[in-house]
Amino acid sequence: MISLTVNVNYSLLYQSSFKQSRHFFNLIRHPVAGFFHIFFRCAAIATYLFCGWFSKSFIANFITIILLLAFDFWTVKNVTGRLLVGLRWWNYIDDNGKSHWIYESRKSQSDKTVYPAESRLFWLALIICPAVWIVFFIVALITFKFKWLLIVIVALSLNFANLIGYVKCKKGAHSRLTRMAGDFFTKQIISRVRFKTVCYR
Amino acid sequence: MASPRPVSPRFDHSDSDEDEESQRVHGDHQVDESHFDTIDEPVSQTLLRDLKSIGQKFLHVFYVKQKISLLRNWDLWGPLILCGAMALLLQGNKADNVNDGGPQFAEVFVIFWCGAGIVTINSQLLGGRISLFQSLCVLGYCMFPLVLALIGCRIVLMLPHTSGLFVLRFCLVILGFCWSTFASTAFLADTQLSDRKALAIYPIFLFYFVMAWLVISHT
Repeated sequence: MISLTVNVNYSLLYQSSFKQSRHFFNLIRHPVAGFFHIFFRCAAIATYLFCGWFSKSFIANFITIILLLAFDFWTVKNVTGRLLVGLRWWNYIDDNGKSHWIYESRKSQSDKTVYPAESRLFWLALIICPAVWIVFFIVALITFKFKWLLIVIVALSLNFANLIGYVKCKKGAHSRLTRMAGDFFTKQIISRVRFKTVCYR
Repeated sequence: MASPRPVSPRFDHSDSDEDEESQRVHGDHQVDESHFDTIDEPVSQTLLRDLKSIGQKFLHVFYVKQKISLLRNWDLWGPLILCGAMALLLQGNKADNVNDGGPQFAEVFVIFWCGAGIVTINSQLLGGRISLFQSLCVLGYCMFPLVLALIGCRIVLMLPHTSGLFVLRFCLVILGFCWSTFASTAFLADTQLSDRKALAIYPIFLFYFVMAWLVISHT
């Protein structure tokens, strides 16, 4: 009798933890992408803050932070934007040497909708990190630490490039949605008018 | 950084409106492209394509006939790697006192990027048809021969010092400088107006001269 109770309790526990993990994967479809989206940005900030504890060499710290920033820029621009929120921006140069900036957004379908948790994660990380680097910029400027200011300037330009790119993608997607909604309502009105005129004959 | 040129455009003419497409906003107007599929490609494909593109650009600095890759599909990874390598190698002498290495290291970065920026602004002001990032890409990748010369100088410096070896290092640096200038001129000359080519090429010459001077004076 006791062993039966124990078995039943164990299976209930297993079911609830299984449900929790399924619930987690219902919230986040790309955990690896989400992890890397945050990892490189936070690692760059953490390295900038705490590098003095681990290494006295400015060169090693400089290279580490710049590499982390470059990897973060590439990852956010080419991978996590696509996977987490279905947006992408890039540059294309035509034969006349004019550069065009292209902002892509995925049309929403049933199997590839944007999960709200992932979207929140994406945008929060995208906005908070440049804010932190702005604080570092002000601090470095006030304390006249110019060699660290160089790193902060690089970090700001890379982070803001991604932020501005994705904000433009998002605005493009919104304008497309409102235009589609407008078209939809116009079509509805026209079809109703046609229906009424058919009926009145 | 430029990304994705779609490798295999999809040409299926599907009729429904609710296709799996990515909607593009091109500047102010919208472009509905039903045959570019890079928004859903696997990550490994993106990574491999970008790595291959970087490798190709390094090769094209030496084989200058193929101009498209550096000019159209620009990226700034090569300049970052080369600038970092150059700054690191130029620090070799001062490795004893680690704290002192900082300013010279950052100095190389500043000279490289600000110098390239000024050369680009100059060529744009002269009416050249090139964008900022393209020019930075070309100037950065064409630093490759000078970085190779720097590596050669470092290797030569491991042998006991004689004046003959100084002449050897000098020749290596001159060779690297000439190839860098020749390569970048070959890429950038076409984008300049024909009567102002010399005006545009002179700053490029000066830029590589300064970098070559850094190499020869620090080794």
